[in-house]
Amino acid sequence: MPKAILIDTTRCTACRGCQVGCKEWKDLPPVATKQRGTHQNPPDLGPYNFKLVRFAEHMEADGTVKWNFFPDACRHCIDAPCKSGASIEGSIIQDEATGAVIYTEKTAKEDFETIKSSCPYDIPRKDPKTKRIVKCDMCIDRVRANLLPMCVKSCAMGAMSFGERADMLKLAATRLVAVQKEFPKAQLCDMENVSVIYLVADDPKKYHKFAVADASDAMKGAPGMTRKEMLAGVFAPLRKATKQMQG
Amino acid sequence: MTQHYTDIANADAVLIMGSNAAEHHPISFRWVLKAKEAGATVIHVDPKFSRTSARSNYHVPLRSGTDIAFLGGMCKYILEKKLFFSEYVLNYTNASFLVGEKYTFKDGLFSGFDAAKKKYDKAAWAFEKDEKGMVKRDKTLQHPRCAINLLKAHYERYNLDLVSQVTGVSKENLLKVYDSFAATGKPNKAGTMLYALGWTQHTVGVQNIRLAGIIQLLLGNFGVAGGGINALRGEPNVQGSTDHALLYGYMPGYHNVPISTWKTLEEYQKANTPVTVDPMSVNWWSNRPKYIVSLLKGWFGDNASAENGFCYNLVPKLDPGMDCSHLFIFDRMYQGKIKGGFLFGHNPCQSFPNSNKVRKAWDKLDWLVVGEVFHNESTDNFKRPGADPKKCKTEIFLLPSAYRAEKEGTISNSGRWHMWHYKAIDPIGQARSMGDMFTEIMNRVRALYVKEGGALPDQVLKHQMLEKFNAEEVTRRINGYFTRDTKIGDKQYKKGQLVPGFANLQTDGSTSSLCWVYCGGYTDAEGNLAKRRDLTQTPMQAKIHLYPKFAWAWPMNRRVLYNRASVDMNGNPYNPEKAVIAWQDGKWVGDVPDGPAPPMAMKGGKYPFIMCTEGHGQLYGPGREDGPFPEHYEPAETPLTTNPFSAQMSNPCMKKATTEMDVLCANGDPRFPIVLTTYCMTEHWCSGSETRNGPALLEAEPQQYVEMSPQLAAEKGIKNGDFVVVESLRGKCEAVAMVTVRIKPFQIMGKTVHLVGMPFAFGWTKPKCGDAVNRLTTSVGDPNTTIPEYKACLVNLKKIAKATEL
Amino acid sequence: MSVSRRGFIKLLGAGTACLGLSKLGIDLGPAQAYAAGLKIEGSKESISICPFCSCGCNTLVHVKDGKIINIEGDPDYPISAGGLCAKGAALRSLHVSPNRITKPKYRAPGSAKWVEKDWDWMLDKIARKVKDQRDKDFVLKNEAGLEVNRLESVFSLGSSQMSNEECSVAHQSLRSLGIVHMDHQARV
Repeated sequence: MPKAILIDTTRCTACRGCQVGCKEWKDLPPVATKQRGTHQNPPDLGPYNFKLVRFAEHMEADGTVKWNFFPDACRHCIDAPCKSGASIEGSIIQDEATGAVIYTEKTAKEDFETIKSSCPYDIPRKDPKTKRIVKCDMCIDRVRANLLPMCVKSCAMGAMSFGERADMLKLAATRLVAVQKEFPKAQLCDMENVSVIYLVADDPKKYHKFAVADASDAMKGAPGMTRKEMLAGVFAPLRKATKQMQG
Repeated sequence: MTQHYTDIANADAVLIMGSNAAEHHPISFRWVLKAKEAGATVIHVDPKFSRTSARSNYHVPLRSGTDIAFLGGMCKYILEKKLFFSEYVLNYTNASFLVGEKYTFKDGLFSGFDAAKKKYDKAAWAFEKDEKGMVKRDKTLQHPRCAINLLKAHYERYNLDLVSQVTGVSKENLLKVYDSFAATGKPNKAGTMLYALGWTQHTVGVQNIRLAGIIQLLLGNFGVAGGGINALRGEPNVQGSTDHALLYGYMPGYHNVPISTWKTLEEYQKANTPVTVDPMSVNWWSNRPKYIVSLLKGWFGDNASAENGFCYNLVPKLDPGMDCSHLFIFDRMYQGKIKGGFLFGHNPCQSFPNSNKVRKAWDKLDWLVVGEVFHNESTDNFKRPGADPKKCKTEIFLLPSAYRAEKEGTISNSGRWHMWHYKAIDPIGQARSMGDMFTEIMNRVRALYVKEGGALPDQVLKHQMLEKFNAEEVTRRINGYFTRDTKIGDKQYKKGQLVPGFANLQTDGSTSSLCWVYCGGYTDAEGNLAKRRDLTQTPMQAKIHLYPKFAWAWPMNRRVLYNRASVDMNGNPYNPEKAVIAWQDGKWVGDVPDGPAPPMAMKGGKYPFIMCTEGHGQLYGPGREDGPFPEHYEPAETPLTTNPFSAQMSNPCMKKATTEMDVLCANGDPRFPIVLTTYCMTEHWCSGSETRNGPALLEAEPQQYVEMSPQLAAEKGIKNGDFVVVESLRGKCEAVAMVTVRIKPFQIMGKTVHLVGMPFAFGWTKPKCGDAVNRLTTSVGDPNTTIPEYKACLVNLKKIAKATEL
Repeated sequence: MSVSRRGFIKLLGAGTACLGLSKLGIDLGPAQAYAAGLKIEGSKESISICPFCSCGCNTLVHVKDGKIINIEGDPDYPISAGGLCAKGAALRSLHVSPNRITKPKYRAPGSAKWVEKDWDWMLDKIARKVKDQRDKDFVLKNEAGLEVNRLESVFSLGSSQMSNEECSVAHQSLRSLGIVHMDHQARV
């Protein structure tokens, strides 16, 4: 039975327990950062940061301040474009039991640009040391041992839930109805296509450029493609083809 | 907390003020969110918009240091609109008590003020008593000197216009908060207030909380589920370390330290044991003599007897009025009067105000013993930037400390839950627990006194101390033992048995207890209750998220203090849906009640506020140093030149450090027009000395920043991410500009006042992360607690091309 | 899947347990080759408490081969239900940090360096300092001629990082020396 994670950003306080918990469980090395005038640090996902809480603030016309938090990580797409884009057998696999999309050591042989650009959420990163392409693996080691993924485990706010996909879809629908009472624009991001479903209270773009699948890169090469097609894995081979054509 | 964390979910309104709960007590917010999702209004009143504001229903910015003006306005609003819970106010508070004729309030000063000593004579504030000694009451509330009428008169000046002008909060926003929170004045509604250092760290800190308490009494919010005044206490065990009184003025269990004029134990007991003639008042502190004697028995063992006053004379005494808190420790250290000392798990060179002074004072020590987990700005002060180690004479003994998972024992969370933690592994390297360190040092000091004699050896040697630290045994000693075979009522106790609860502690020396509030937490029958992990609840307890069998809470496993105020005079819960206790079939069910007495209307019934001498919640509180009612005074450094509430600019009783480095700006100093407020962070712990060693934490928050509004940034030509230097009369601090809409300029008395905010977690021992913001702050303190005013001082700032600290 | 409340430690009642995969109900799937194994398998698990804010979040500490390999939240703690904030989530790194002070160190007057010393040397020196200072400066009576029995020239600061038991011993120790200048984080 496939699993899913529901991330209810209306409960997220950006305590970053998930961001740090992920690094700790994975023993990921530290990254040197600078204060740049924002709390979001590191600035982006990286080879040693599979989970990043994004901070986005703005003031509404009436003077109300909004501060949106988005604990970003791999969506574990149901039909993962990155998997379709992979050229080496066994480099990107999908665990049947959970639906987790997993990058193995064989990704070191993949063309990073192809894999990266195939992702509509801008997730894959390359580890300069091992040359592997890396990202969140849904803590498959923990999940197999009947433990929660570390980000979900760390979250005390109830912003993250993990379970059977069917249960998570039900929970997502219930939460959406509840949240819409306070935030009429609330929505679930790309729910049909991904295993990590975000509930946002406002336009997803006010959280993160890639909160929902972003087709803007893809459009350049293949105008007219819908997000659904892209998520269905149609995109990656096309992108490769475009690249070849462009020489 | 009068409540505990999981209780927050029961509230109908949550006022978070003087706290940034989501950032500084992150897990508490789980329960705030539960309340919100169940329909509660969550309100954040705070100078800046933070992660707490982001998850609240709304945020209201107010100028730092104006909480009393804001709350005074709410108090007036509640009284004028009659939104208070009248039955509760009449029966459970001192609303009807008559205040004596000597009480006056004129232009910012209460009666009894001695201008030379900057101290009040509290006798001027006393209640009026009849010939038997009973406080006079007018239950019709008509008498002009009824506490509630004086309260009304006091806050008459706190109208919306003035409050708005002083706080910078729009009238619309004031009304929004007042309406939302005052709606909990109904019997079946509860409002909780969550506060932290944002209320305490002001020269009016205690009165901020007093006024919050007054409002909660008016609204009937004490004792009920989802109510109360909830200090989200800072440090991991600051509840426990306060209970055990690592504070100059107290002994464990909230007893004053002796002063020289209380020459004998009898004199001490007389001066510290309140008396009432009202038979319905429990007056819990009338039990103090039992706790004092049991403490002395715990300390001095068989050496303490009735004949020798239980060794009372061996307890060091202060002079009346002597303040030995850190503000004055550093004054005296700076003046060369303090020669050496102990520093355990504390980083004053980073976290104390006016740290340039603190660091200089630190240089003057002859010797220093430190127990620490990591090097920090205090261990290594002698080699701070700009200092010459050759000129620092201090001999330093740095002892490696075990970290939490390397030792066992108990801590007490903010909800007074007494919880055991196990030792997972031996301490790293040669590290030892601080319990071991103290024990080992004392073993050797004691051996020297046995061998050589010296100054008053009895004070050192008569104490009964463990030769090897053993947390489990100390937990038992804290609970207390019978020191001899004893009969209490018809029950016989043997020498060496654990005392089953503090009601059994005695004045005759037959019991010991190192801290009475914990007595009952370790029993012969059930063992160490701090180890309990049972999550079972009755349906009544489940409704209010009460886990009575998980760990143990002081006092006597009571989870909600003053819970007798949650029921009417007949013991029926005001809110049956969320009952804390209820009188059923001749007994109490639910939480452990505040004493076994039946409901107030029944024979033998008692008033609910058992810790107050007269048993009533104190709308009028004559016990504080700076007045029976809270009054708005400006911070010690203020951008204003007049206080629109009175001629008294700042708290007339505030404490001030005295050296030439303790300078303060004149009111409205044009050189420093900006208000600075300082705070902790989510990702770093307090001064940051531990968490800067956490790679993922330093990665998330690497450097000192200063949050400012886009308007201020534009005025100063500063862009987001620029280096700036922030300057006060006392020092400078470099920071990265964080230009954000989350900070807004305030309109105060017709002019624009800017506020900036900075965290205090970054220090020089971690290269290029910045250095102490406390180089800017002021050494002034609240007159009751001497807690410094970290939350408001005056600064200016400018862009710099190149930083040296970052 | 009941992963939110595991609770087997509660049943053992000892606060520590050995973590075997059988207890976790491991489910080997097709991605087996990718993840070599669960790092906490076979570790000893103990209940501890986060040493930061007063939420007092209970933690599970996993020790294997004499080293802390993981610290995560305890799902049985009612307040956190197993969650931890950023600071709590970093506890393993903090405990095993190479920056920890692991040996007693001495700094001589005027020196720019720390020198490692053994515990006995340190404790003897400290006891001597304390006693000499106390004997030199002890005040039996104040200016008014009243008995005070105190030592004003020595201070103590800290700590709310200590357990209740350590606080109790610290308080007693300090009063037994006559120290009055004592304070800690409750005031800052």
